[in-house]
Amino acid sequence: MEEFMFKKSMRKPLALFAAVSLSAIGLTVPASHAASQTIQVYISADTNIQDLWVKTLVPAFKLAYPGYDVNVTFDLHGDHDAQETAKITAAAVLHKDPGVDLIDGGFTTTLGAAGLLYRPTPGLIPNIKDLNKTVLAAGKGGIPYRASSVLLAYNSTNVPTPPATLDDLLAWIKAHPGKFTYNAPNGGGSGYSFVQTVVDKYLSDADRKTLVAQAAPDLESKWAEGLETLRQLNKYTYGQNGTYPANNAETLKDLATGLVDMGTVWSDQFSSALKAGTMPANIKVTAIKNPSLTGGASYLGIPNSSINKVGARLLANWVLSPAAQNLIVGGTLNGFPVIPLNKLDPVVTAAFKGVDILNLRAGYLSANANDLKSKWASTVPGK
Amino acid sequence: MISLLRNKNEEGSFTTKGEGPSLLGLGLSLPPLLIVLVFVGLPIFIGLTFSLGFTTGPNRVIAIIGQQIHKKNHWWGTFGAYNDVIHDSRFLGDLSLTIVVTVLSTTLVLLLALSIGLYQRLIGGRKAAVLVTLSIVPLFVPVVISAWAIHTFYSGDGFMRTLFSHMGINFPTLTSTPSAIVIGTVWTSLPFAILMISSGLQAIPDALIESAKDCGASAFRIVVNILIPLAKTPIIIAASFTSIGILGSFTIPFFLGPNQPTMLGVEISNFFGSYNRPQQSLVMAFIVFAIASGIAVAYVRSNIKSARESDRL
Repeated sequence: MEEFMFKKSMRKPLALFAAVSLSAIGLTVPASHAASQTIQVYISADTNIQDLWVKTLVPAFKLAYPGYDVNVTFDLHGDHDAQETAKITAAAVLHKDPGVDLIDGGFTTTLGAAGLLYRPTPGLIPNIKDLNKTVLAAGKGGIPYRASSVLLAYNSTNVPTPPATLDDLLAWIKAHPGKFTYNAPNGGGSGYSFVQTVVDKYLSDADRKTLVAQAAPDLESKWAEGLETLRQLNKYTYGQNGTYPANNAETLKDLATGLVDMGTVWSDQFSSALKAGTMPANIKVTAIKNPSLTGGASYLGIPNSSINKVGARLLANWVLSPAAQNLIVGGTLNGFPVIPLNKLDPVVTAAFKGVDILNLRAGYLSANANDLKSKWASTVPGK
Repeated sequence: MISLLRNKNEEGSFTTKGEGPSLLGLGLSLPPLLIVLVFVGLPIFIGLTFSLGFTTGPNRVIAIIGQQIHKKNHWWGTFGAYNDVIHDSRFLGDLSLTIVVTVLSTTLVLLLALSIGLYQRLIGGRKAAVLVTLSIVPLFVPVVISAWAIHTFYSGDGFMRTLFSHMGINFPTLTSTPSAIVIGTVWTSLPFAILMISSGLQAIPDALIESAKDCGASAFRIVVNILIPLAKTPIIIAASFTSIGILGSFTIPFFLGPNQPTMLGVEISNFFGSYNRPQQSLVMAFIVFAIASGIAVAYVRSNIKSARESDRL
């Protein structure tokens, strides 16, 4: 029995030691989230956007505002979009910290539609006044900060004159079996854009606008014609067996290695690949018409329940400044800017095609886009 | 755990020490059971209720975000999501592909592991040791890397096609086909099966094989009547773990398989993420769970049988 009881002489020093260590722990517990100093940024996109933030924007922001720290969390291809949306929704419902102050991802418009985003005003984010009003309104609380478009990439050696319209493209694909590809829409936006464009060919302007602005399940039966056209392309696309590359990167690789002569690509990913040397110089891009491939703005979102809205607004405002927009256009991303070209560095915009962001055809609202991805998967590949 | 609760006395009948099951035994085994119940059992139960249409409580947030959610219309829920999945044109193709690939891959893995294990047991030597070591290498390669490497190997401009084109043969492009999935799953599942089966075969005493040879048994007889029956437990363990792993796999079919039909692991991910249909993805997950449970039951039954045979039960 005695072995299990501390000797009397040991009790006092032990109690003292316990008290001292407990208070030491109390002293070293960090003050909860030094609110104004760290901005939590969540990015859900492809690796080129991660590089944009981590290698270009964040270091430049820290130089401009040395008192702030930016912590970037990255989710590749939006694999966890649903979970992050759930986390932010739950945090809003329970009035807790969502753990993120600024979001760059496809689901910002979903959050905006649910009323969970802070609505930007020119009073607190002055650079908002340089933005295009329509594009800003479409974000429903999201702040557009860059844009890009899907374009048709072609091997200029094998294809001296690329098709100018969608009908020409479809005819070319049938005349050159195995030489065109697009990735599965659930894997990457460039393939999704091609699918939506073919489907839009058979829809009226009014229907297209509805599908972009609101959830429209009753219009979805009108997709049947476009999906049938895509199904008939199965024996003419690369592989000629109704299989498609899994994501954007695979399409770029197939173009670069010469497996295909044409494919749909994101403008920024293509320019970055050209600059980095992973895309040969004889691969060029062009835009098609009737209808054109989709494109649009990417939106930043500040959740209403964020605990560092001051920092998030400062970062968002800085991203809209000419200094940051120059980095987005001229840096490795080669994105399209969202502020007027005359505010930017002329050297940077000289090499720039000057695509008018107002005329970019928008992708569907996320609910309709998800339905289209599902319908494509059940009607096209392998059939 | 059972042996902690009871003791078998000399006559072979079960008696308990003291007045009943040992409280100490129960107390020691309770924490891990509780952890499994709370962190595995409870989420499974909540998932089951969500798949049946209970959209309140823990399922509230996902029900707000997801599309095509069926809310319950009876006290026990609704079969709406189950109907959606079973009548979906993709489901039957995916289910058959999953089962065919699992059965085929498990069979191939067992055949290969048995061949290499038997070669090492009966003939042995340096070549066998090298063969076993080489076949364990995939264990140390992350699955994503191996999937991409196999993709590069068998793709349209990959090693196989390039090599054979120099000989004038048009080797088929295997990527985006079920054959590539089988190649990939066999490659990644082989190490575990080899480890289990070769150690099971090594544990069989030489004396049994010698005495069988003395009686004039051929190698075939020795393998079929002595080695395989005695190594039955590791073979069943290897078979169950391999098949359950392949059943729910994602990375290999995602990289190497066709877009449709694909294996259920990939389809579940598509439905949850890309198509934003969490309820339907949960239904598919439970179907995979049911099949895996069937395999697990076979495993547990064989375990109980071998425990009875060796008097542990």
